[in-house]
Amino acid sequence: MTRAEAVELPSRTRTLMAQLRRELGNDEPLPPPPPVATIPPPPQRVFPSPHRRTGFAEKAAAHTTALLGIGQVGTRYATDVVLQFQAELAVAHEAVATVLPEDWAAKHGCLPLVSRVTSHHEFLLRPDLGRRLSDESLELLRREARRGIDVQPILADGLSAVATMGAGPALMGAFIAECEKRGWKVGTPLCARFARVWLEDDVGQEVGAKVAAILLGERPGLGTGDGLSAYLVYDPRLGKTDGDRNMMSNIHERGTPPAEAARRLAILVGAMLEQKRSGVSLDLAPMVAELGEAAGTGYRAPQKRVRLVEVNR
Amino acid sequence: MRLSATIRGSTYSFTSVKEVLAKANPPKSGDDLAGISARDAVERVAARAVLSELTLNDLRENPVVPYDEDELTRMVEDTLDATAFSAVRSLTVGQFREWLLETKTTGALIRSISPGLTPEMSAAVAKLMSNLDLMVAGAKCEVVVRANSTLGLPGRFSSRLQPNHPTDDVDGILYSTREGLSYGCGDAVIGVNPATDTPESTAEILQALHALRTRNKIPTQHCVLSHITVQMKALDLGCPMDLMFQSLSGSEKGNRAFGISIALVDEASEKMRARRSSAGPNFMYFETGQGSALSSAAHHGADQVTLEARCYGFARRYKPFLVNTVVGFIGPEYLEDGQQITRAGLEDHFMGKLLGLPMGCDACFTYHSSMSQNEVECLQVLMGAAGCTYLMSLPVGDDIMLNYQSTSFHDIPSVRMLLGKRPTPEFDAWLSATGIMDGDKPGERFGDPGVIR
Repeated sequence: MTRAEAVELPSRTRTLMAQLRRELGNDEPLPPPPPVATIPPPPQRVFPSPHRRTGFAEKAAAHTTALLGIGQVGTRYATDVVLQFQAELAVAHEAVATVLPEDWAAKHGCLPLVSRVTSHHEFLLRPDLGRRLSDESLELLRREARRGIDVQPILADGLSAVATMGAGPALMGAFIAECEKRGWKVGTPLCARFARVWLEDDVGQEVGAKVAAILLGERPGLGTGDGLSAYLVYDPRLGKTDGDRNMMSNIHERGTPPAEAARRLAILVGAMLEQKRSGVSLDLAPMVAELGEAAGTGYRAPQKRVRLVEVNR
Repeated sequence: MRLSATIRGSTYSFTSVKEVLAKANPPKSGDDLAGISARDAVERVAARAVLSELTLNDLRENPVVPYDEDELTRMVEDTLDATAFSAVRSLTVGQFREWLLETKTTGALIRSISPGLTPEMSAAVAKLMSNLDLMVAGAKCEVVVRANSTLGLPGRFSSRLQPNHPTDDVDGILYSTREGLSYGCGDAVIGVNPATDTPESTAEILQALHALRTRNKIPTQHCVLSHITVQMKALDLGCPMDLMFQSLSGSEKGNRAFGISIALVDEASEKMRARRSSAGPNFMYFETGQGSALSSAAHHGADQVTLEARCYGFARRYKPFLVNTVVGFIGPEYLEDGQQITRAGLEDHFMGKLLGLPMGCDACFTYHSSMSQNEVECLQVLMGAAGCTYLMSLPVGDDIMLNYQSTSFHDIPSVRMLLGKRPTPEFDAWLSATGIMDGDKPGERFGDPGVIR
């Protein structure tokens, strides 16, 4: 009998002692832990980065922005994945939480408007109020804005003021230039706070625009809060629905760059002015080639997913 | 029918069953937006007290959308099982709650009376239940369905694999699918929300998923969640289709906004019965979600919980293989925060199960709602404990096409291990055979997409 086996073998005395301790309620509910062992660090599992990808992650990244090939610890994420994910969430939440400063519009050469919403919290909960102009803004619009126009451009915060303050001025400037180049009468540049898409109906109706175009921050995705969308409507007035609009999304440097987007939006406006309608009934067939990806479904290489957090060493 | 109650000397009176149902709801931003919620917590309790004394027969006679105005109301009324209804007709809603919670009320008993319940009855009793009530009663209900695999058996917890892609790049979709399968996800369905709603792209994705499923002998089903008319055309193109999908709303008007009617879904379902590529008696897949009727001004002044239950009244006509509520996608104007989204998930699961549906849940949030990642992780465990049939699974929970946050490839096996649950028996065997799982633990090939060809 080896020494180890002797230890394993319960002696009668030890059994009696254990029983006594149990009866007295003094026994430990768990056996003692194993002796402290050497704990090797687990293999490094990291958020995909070019020099650390596994073959699968690299191949997948050529086809999708989905986070693939990230490995696991037990059934959970590696620490690095958790941190990158939290950074991406934070970026998206930050984009939603950012409020467009009141003086931003004037500083960027726009007439400042605000919807009937009075706080950011209310903006998120009351889309109906974000679709109508406040009385003061309506007054201001009547007093100062150009009327009887072909196109009314409106820059707005929507769900990401970060996007508005980012690519907003470039998109607005390029869009106005494209419209003027085509000889259309363009309305006074406007910028609206706490605005939803349908605000363009209220504004466009008031200034008598043939087409209203609202350019606004879109609902952020994970890790991205800088995308703008544009919604265009012919004969804007209260009562228009989503089916009456044409839209373009994903306008930012990594998606459709502002200059390119502005050109395509102007093509859409041209079609609306010519066909005197917009939305599902607008015939885009004659300009498919000209619109390129704006109307089609051609292959687009996936955007690169970037690491957001690095610890400085 | 008495529609008033007294609390500490103050009398609260209501003018209709619809108003009582709305005011009995726990707080939801969507009911506030519709202007129909209780003005304070006391009025809310008064409404619940009144509701507790109404009989199930009262609810049958007072649907929230009138019989003459709505085909859903007519369909539910005209097809209600008379024998099952007569067993419960005289119970008050309060007594019905207690009956459901009694230990001796088994899942089989609940199944026997379920065809006699209208959606309004399931919504009413949900309003008298706390979250844990909803879980206890929901976990009792038994709903088992079969297509290529058997879903909803006791001790099972399944997942939809959702490999969406912003431009429907089929290779991208397949990469996500392989990764998800390697985490043991996808036993309910591999289901893609397409970016492009055309028959050709629907058929192309289905062909690719079918090839993957056949090549690897995976006992699950596939689906592309385009509009039902698009899927009908895709069937005409001759593509394989295991499940047919459609989003539902709780009123005829709401369904019109979705471009559907009972007649259309009847026609689509008959076509699918004849042409489907799956086995088993269940082959339809429906998604719902509180707030959809209001978002198209089709709510008829009714609250979003009752309207959600009416979606289930619609769905059960087709004995579907999958139904899930998409609980946090619609935005904070309908469900403001983690508390409201959690409550909605538990309500919807309970109401759907009570009405005999294999309820799953897309436990999720958009980045402009006040829900945190931790809250959605908690909700998964609650849903699993409540007996929810399946949750969604995506890479890191991130839907790169629809831009919202759902549950992940890593979450599904985590919740299964926590709750001691397993995937469908057919899929379970496949996971063991591939080495992805070793019984109830991750196997040697867990998380290795190379295992799927």
